[in-house]
Amino acid sequence: MLESLIQNIINALQWGSFYALIALGYTLVYGVLTLINFAHGDVFMVGAYIAFFVATFCLTVLGLPGWVALILVIPLTMILTSLVGVTLERIAYRPLRKKGAHRLYVVITALMCGLILEHANLAILGASRKAFPVLIEVQVYNIGGVTFTNLKIAVIVTAFLSFLFLHWVVTKTRIGMAMRAISYDKFAVPLMGIPLDQIIVVTFILGSGFAGLAGLLFAMSYPVLEPYMGALIGWKAFIAAVVGGIGDIRGAFIGGFLLGAVEIMVVAFFPSTFRDLISFSVLLAILTWKPTGLFGIAQTTKI
Amino acid sequence: MMLSIENLEVKYGNIQALHGISFHVNKGEIVTLIGANGAGKTTSLHSISRLPPPEAPRVIAGDIRFNGESILKTKPDQVVKDLHLALVPEGRHIFGNLTVMENLQLATYARAKGTDFEPEYQRIFDLFPRLHERRKQRSESLSGGEQQMLAVGRALLTGCNFLMLDEPSMGLAPVLKYELFRKLKQLNDEGMTILLVEQNANLALHLAHRGYVLDTGKIVAEGTGEELLGNPEVKKAYLGG
Repeated sequence: MLESLIQNIINALQWGSFYALIALGYTLVYGVLTLINFAHGDVFMVGAYIAFFVATFCLTVLGLPGWVALILVIPLTMILTSLVGVTLERIAYRPLRKKGAHRLYVVITALMCGLILEHANLAILGASRKAFPVLIEVQVYNIGGVTFTNLKIAVIVTAFLSFLFLHWVVTKTRIGMAMRAISYDKFAVPLMGIPLDQIIVVTFILGSGFAGLAGLLFAMSYPVLEPYMGALIGWKAFIAAVVGGIGDIRGAFIGGFLLGAVEIMVVAFFPSTFRDLISFSVLLAILTWKPTGLFGIAQTTKI
Repeated sequence: MMLSIENLEVKYGNIQALHGISFHVNKGEIVTLIGANGAGKTTSLHSISRLPPPEAPRVIAGDIRFNGESILKTKPDQVVKDLHLALVPEGRHIFGNLTVMENLQLATYARAKGTDFEPEYQRIFDLFPRLHERRKQRSESLSGGEQQMLAVGRALLTGCNFLMLDEPSMGLAPVLKYELFRKLKQLNDEGMTILLVEQNANLALHLAHRGYVLDTGKIVAEGTGEELLGNPEVKKAYLGG
């Protein structure tokens, strides 16, 4: 009984890590621009594919050993994926912002960007799935009936470190202070001598970079890639961010793990086909009870 | 001439808000723009600050020169960072989700890293002691007058030597209004050039060296503070007879 509980907790933490890493990107962009970047799940997918190409290149063309390849794949995937996010901001969101478009149009644009990423992938790479190469030997450990792998532990540790890093950026650095300022009053930010577009680009770099990292870790854990892999997980991470209180880094993190935990617990007691139905129902109940999310505060009116 | 506006025409969308206005501000002066609602006062300040779209009006003719050079291509953050020209916007626009101290710290964003800003924070606290008492509070919890002081303090911390203020007295109790204007006088005595937009024409003209009267996007009168105070037209339209 105790083993199965611990086992489920480890599994929940691993699942939650993916949701949390993606939810962090949703919440960062929302926090700064009040834009729900619905393309974010697909940026995660692109991240997984970028990781696939970089890893394949390192292993087959350069002939590097797996662990050396991994050391290169992590930063390259994060950098290249963040470029995708920055490109979306530059060509899709920024022109709308400059025209003063209503938020609704920006959100619809974001949805379109996501669909374009999915179908561009389909058009360019075809419908066949890609198998992600093995970068590190997966070690299975068994302690008192609880099994876990080095990869699972790495995923969980990475999610925690990413959270601590982003939380530090937002709360302690000047750029984080500027990000928070934009979320409250975009108008006054340039008046402080702060280049608004630059801060927004940094936000997209951070959000997309960590989505890329999530893509890499996901591909290493479940090594089958397909163009729609980001759609459902993106939606779920978005919901996790909302449940945590969108705009708040802690909320995204807690929300991600909460969703992971709920899903794993549902599967432990019900048929696995019930998973999404029950977990979404639980989240709906949480939102009914606290519509602003666990960490969200009701928007106060400005004087 | 530190700042000169030359035949400036600007539009918001299809609506022309300024119809070729010209005015200038010399170094060390206090100049005021007065006029009724919709006369183009805020538009003038936003044009000078080079705010980005969608907030900013679009310049369609004329020029804005700072120390002789056109700033029409200058970005809004560079106006603050490189020209040391700051705006205290109408409605204060403080960052309510940050503490008072964080608001002040953020204003030093574009300035040289590693500078010790402590003496400058101290100077702001000397000028507005209330801000020191409340430095750890979320700034949206401040009263209207305190928020206005924070907005001014924040602008000063950008390292400006030219300060533009848009309706700073709006919503302030009379006693705070006079206090704020005394502080502006004090800043001017210390060398700050000031461009002040005010609905309270009487107060503004008593403070300012020179003034311009705007009416529906045109300048209809100009002169020293005293001249305008004595001008019968101005008296009738803006000073309550």
